[in-house]
Amino acid sequence: MNKTEKRHMGMKALNRVSNGSIYVLLVLISVIWLIPFVFIVFQSFRVESTQQVGYVIPHQWGLQNYINLWNSDFKRWYLNTFIIALASAVLVTIIQLCMSYTLSRFRFKMRGPLMRFMLILGMFPGMLTMIILYRVLADIGLTQANAVPGLILVGFASSGMGYYVSKGFFDTIPKSLDEAARVDGATRLQVLYKIILPLAKPIVIYTVLTAFMGPWGDFVFARYVAMGTSAGYNVAVGMYSWLTADQIFGMYTTFCAGGVIVALPVTILFMCLQKYYVEGVTGGAVKG
Amino acid sequence: MMKQYSDLEFLRLSKWQRFLYRLAAFFCAIPRAIGNFFKNIGGFIKRAAVAVVNEFRDIGVTFVHGDWKTKTSYLVMGFGNLARGQILRGLLFLVFELVFIFYMILAGGYWLSMLPSLGKQGPVEGYDPVLDTYTTIYHDNSFKILLYGVLTIFFIVAFIYTWRLNVKQNKIMEQIIKKGGKLKSDKDDLKSMVDEQFYKTLLALPLTGILIFTVLPIVFMILVAFTNYDGAHNGYQNNLFTWVGLDNFNTMFSWTSNSGGGSQSYSATFGEILSWTLIWAFLATFTNYFLGMFVAMMINKKGIHLKKMWRTILVLTIAIPQFISLLYVSKMFAKNGLINLTLLDWGWIKEPLPFWDDATWARVTVILINIWIGIPHLMLIATGILMNIPADLYESARIDGANAWQQYIKITLPYMLFITGPYLLTSFTGNMNNFNVIYLLTGGGPSNPKASGASGSVGFTDLLITWLFKITTGSDAKYYLASVVGIMVFVVVAVISLVVYNVLPSIKNEEDYQ
Amino acid sequence: MKKFLAILLALMLVFSLAACNNDGEGGGGEGGTELAGTYKITVWCPDAAVDLTKTQIEDFNNSNDMGIKFEATVEPVSEADAANNVINDVNASGDLYFFAQDQLSRLIEAGAVSKLGAGAAKTVTENNDAGTVKGATAGDSLYAYPLTSDNGYFMYYDKSVIPDADVDSLEKLIEDCEKAGKFFAFELENGWYNAGFFFGTGCHSEWTYNDDGTIKNFDDDFNSDNGLIAAKGIYKLVSSTCYVNGSTADQFSSNAAIVVTGTWNYEDIKTALGDNMGVTDLPSYTVDGKEYHIGSFNGCKLLGAKPQSDAKKGAAVNQLALYLTGEKCQQERFNAFSWGPSNLKVQASPEVQANPALAALAKQNAYSVPQGNIPQPWWDICKNITTEVKASDGSDDALKAAIAKYEADNKSSIGDFNQGVLDEAGKSDEEKNAWSVIGAIGGSNWDKDFPMTQDGDIWTSNDSFELEAGAELKCRQGGAWDVSVGAGDGNFVVETAGTYKVQLDTSTNTITLIPA
Repeated sequence: MNKTEKRHMGMKALNRVSNGSIYVLLVLISVIWLIPFVFIVFQSFRVESTQQVGYVIPHQWGLQNYINLWNSDFKRWYLNTFIIALASAVLVTIIQLCMSYTLSRFRFKMRGPLMRFMLILGMFPGMLTMIILYRVLADIGLTQANAVPGLILVGFASSGMGYYVSKGFFDTIPKSLDEAARVDGATRLQVLYKIILPLAKPIVIYTVLTAFMGPWGDFVFARYVAMGTSAGYNVAVGMYSWLTADQIFGMYTTFCAGGVIVALPVTILFMCLQKYYVEGVTGGAVKG
Repeated sequence: MMKQYSDLEFLRLSKWQRFLYRLAAFFCAIPRAIGNFFKNIGGFIKRAAVAVVNEFRDIGVTFVHGDWKTKTSYLVMGFGNLARGQILRGLLFLVFELVFIFYMILAGGYWLSMLPSLGKQGPVEGYDPVLDTYTTIYHDNSFKILLYGVLTIFFIVAFIYTWRLNVKQNKIMEQIIKKGGKLKSDKDDLKSMVDEQFYKTLLALPLTGILIFTVLPIVFMILVAFTNYDGAHNGYQNNLFTWVGLDNFNTMFSWTSNSGGGSQSYSATFGEILSWTLIWAFLATFTNYFLGMFVAMMINKKGIHLKKMWRTILVLTIAIPQFISLLYVSKMFAKNGLINLTLLDWGWIKEPLPFWDDATWARVTVILINIWIGIPHLMLIATGILMNIPADLYESARIDGANAWQQYIKITLPYMLFITGPYLLTSFTGNMNNFNVIYLLTGGGPSNPKASGASGSVGFTDLLITWLFKITTGSDAKYYLASVVGIMVFVVVAVISLVVYNVLPSIKNEEDYQ
Repeated sequence: MKKFLAILLALMLVFSLAACNNDGEGGGGEGGTELAGTYKITVWCPDAAVDLTKTQIEDFNNSNDMGIKFEATVEPVSEADAANNVINDVNASGDLYFFAQDQLSRLIEAGAVSKLGAGAAKTVTENNDAGTVKGATAGDSLYAYPLTSDNGYFMYYDKSVIPDADVDSLEKLIEDCEKAGKFFAFELENGWYNAGFFFGTGCHSEWTYNDDGTIKNFDDDFNSDNGLIAAKGIYKLVSSTCYVNGSTADQFSSNAAIVVTGTWNYEDIKTALGDNMGVTDLPSYTVDGKEYHIGSFNGCKLLGAKPQSDAKKGAAVNQLALYLTGEKCQQERFNAFSWGPSNLKVQASPEVQANPALAALAKQNAYSVPQGNIPQPWWDICKNITTEVKASDGSDDALKAAIAKYEADNKSSIGDFNQGVLDEAGKSDEEKNAWSVIGAIGGSNWDKDFPMTQDGDIWTSNDSFELEAGAELKCRQGGAWDVSVGAGDGNFVVETAGTYKVQLDTSTNTITLIPA
């Protein structure tokens, strides 16, 4: 056995030890990451009581909480959220792609100032503009029972600001492709949909996915816009109301059941499209 | 003044020294930059004045030399285009002018005239003696006056710009005709919308949205800082609000305690919250960054199986809406929540741990839970980047006898830092404004008794953004104060970004990167 | 560029015109004597009461003899949210809404709640207990309709952990909880609860107001020797490991043995504890050998009506509000969810007398203080006493500092509060002093002020009016009824029809008509 071989053996042993400890760590991390979600699922099947309790495994399993959910306004809220999510997935994607493609590919006089201006705009906290947006929506009648179109409008109208990630992605597509096509006589529009879009599949899916996921968690502004009208709630606002002092006793396990129903489709969608999400985020986010 | 290095000297420095050098250079350059700024203002005013004078001269000259079609266009916008066969452009100009005039007569004039006072007549309470009922008749609405007043000003600026464009076009058309050239037809115009001018088509909708739903609200928000808009003056239901100049900034930055007694001044509260916000943003960003990278490297390591499964488990926290997961976790950590009860049950602790009841405990706990939320994001990004690092770099490092730690310090970390520089910055400012994590976990608590004089009940984990939210939704709803805080958040973020932009090379040169 | 601008501006136009159209709304209300008609209203009430409230409104529609029909939408909005929403946007909010008494001063300040007319005020005062009526009153006016008088707190405990013999002593209760590893839930980080300790030692905190809504006097002795005793009592509990800050029923399923809360949790706690449920008044604690019983607030829940521009609708809503807070509806609410009635007749009924929670509340009421109209900042300041006490080492000096700070904070908040009330933006001193004419004149019906011009003591109306004989009018100052002049105590009545300018002599407070 010569010297290098010996070293190799040593390395191998070392590798085994380190891989072993990595597995231990990964299992530990996975447990920490999964615990809250598993607990929520357990709570949602507990039927012996409806409030918070000090144990995890239900004494009695059943579907009562899901039945409660079905009998409450939750269906309406779910539909509302789904419509908002679907509409913003389409509209936000269109807006952001227009914005990012233009800023990545065109060089025009106002481009620099425009990008700087939007960068500065982005530094203002959006929280305060909530009251103003509410008034604007109230004036055009898109609050309370009409909160759904109102939230869609606000969601997509200001979405142009979030162009950074997809612009970063477009920047990675070589410009020579455009130029070659232009030489062949294609218009800019044709270049966009014939050449760029097929290459931009990951970022399109990334944008669709993030736009679709956003509305499921929106509760601050959505609560403001719905103004105490159940028909205009989204799931977050409606379920949040179950955790107020006068309802938490009777609705806590129903909240958990609702959580499962909300999380399920979003999670499945996310899992299926994870590959594109990673490509989008690494291709775009870091180059921004 | 610091020592200036030559290029050669600079290149000899280590990476870390270069960074420090840039940082020092940036701060040393500030006084001069400020000087230059004021010098530039002078120049700018001069240039602007010249430009304005030139514009007016050009408008005058065009009128004097123009034919009758051009001259009519000064009053009837788009007439020149219509008369010369550009129907589409002409109609757009004309319709715009009509819309503007009608708007100003029907609404704009009213909003504009009320803007200086923000309304004259508040609601009036009446009494109907027959029905024995009180009524309230509402009159002016300060909020709408401010909002639509600003919108009207936007509109007027746009009108002036368009009118000028209309004049300019006439001039250009005349020149083309004089030279015997051919004017663009409507068909040409339409075609260019998807070709040379395609960017205008693409940007029209996004920018309109941004103008109305981002710019307008922000302008409004800034203006509110100069009014007394609050719960007692809500502009419509009780009292109108009005302009108060810089009073609110004085309140915010007076060092004397505003409420006498034992409470500290707003500025002290602001300072306290700001410092925690910065500490939080720093820790939240960098714990996530390094731990996320670490996890990604573990999963990516050769010989680790089930890579996809590990990743999938981690990204659950991205996929599940935060209001579900964070609210649940917040309850788990309560004094009589699941964690404490379990630990008590097992006999590991004698008394419940004050996760949310003690300032330090609460701060540490939110940072730890934020790691739970944040690692997966970083892990995804790092995974992609780590795979892109050329394998031969590591190969040659190994041949040179570098161990794993050295490889990390010499290759992985610099590569990551270079590529993710901009991401780090956005994630830092994002964490400064991380409303969800704080609001859903602690609601800002535990409350800080010293800050009781400040609006909204301030807690030890409150960030500026949650404080701002509490001010607007709190019992006295001091919108004007929230607005001042909002402006301060902007200033802080802008300063940090400015420093980072000047120090980090990878952000600066966008074009180099492509 | 121009295409882009055109789209942009078209959009802006749509927004602005929409705003313009809305501006016209809220015009003059027409007065009619007959209330018959169909009204669309929204009622906001807590989730639990939605179905019952719907039925009750239906009953009202069928039973009233005034021909009033309501098409009502009943929305579940929690009491806290209701107040916030109404304050935010009165146009979009419920015509009637349930809220807790501590929100009243905020609602009045925000112009979000309408005064009751004299007749309605009389009905409410006659039929409800005096403490509750006081709770719905600010200055001289009644602002809301009492729904319950049970907004107080007492103690629920788990009999399997706490022996009945111990329930009168705070020290023993803490000991029992600590020994059993159970929690003692008392929401002391809330001014409504921790003030009870102070009231128990004989401290008081009373706010009196001037007619204009500003604070006249803050009579409070929390910062005193008695207050120090109360702070020591608070320290006893908050320094124990068994203390949790909470007042919801589900504390019992998270290992609490004691929860201090009110009647609204009675049904839930009964579900959670079953036969082990014990209900009683709050315990006493001992400081320097002397016993002090923990006191409490005794308040109510109210039904508020938002201000209406249309007097007819306002009057109709008033009828519904009186019905919903009347004897029958209070009895129904007690039957359905044990809400403690404020109506005197319902209070006297045997079932109410027999309810254990209400009995405990009645027992606790010997130590309670009726909750008056308290300015909003006080709650935040008062809750901080607990925060300070909790963070302190329990020494006399530290506790004294906490209550001294309470007093100082309150004193300075009065200035802010009064400033807010007095400082009516958009109304300069000139406008506040200006006189105007109001009445059934110039096509208006007591809903429009017609400006007058001053010349020394003489004010003359700018417009001239065609007045019928018998038309009534008044002059008032600053567009409010605080200072007004008619004829004697009533309105000025026109004797001969004609076209006049109205003239007021402020030195003699007489109105004359000048033919124009």
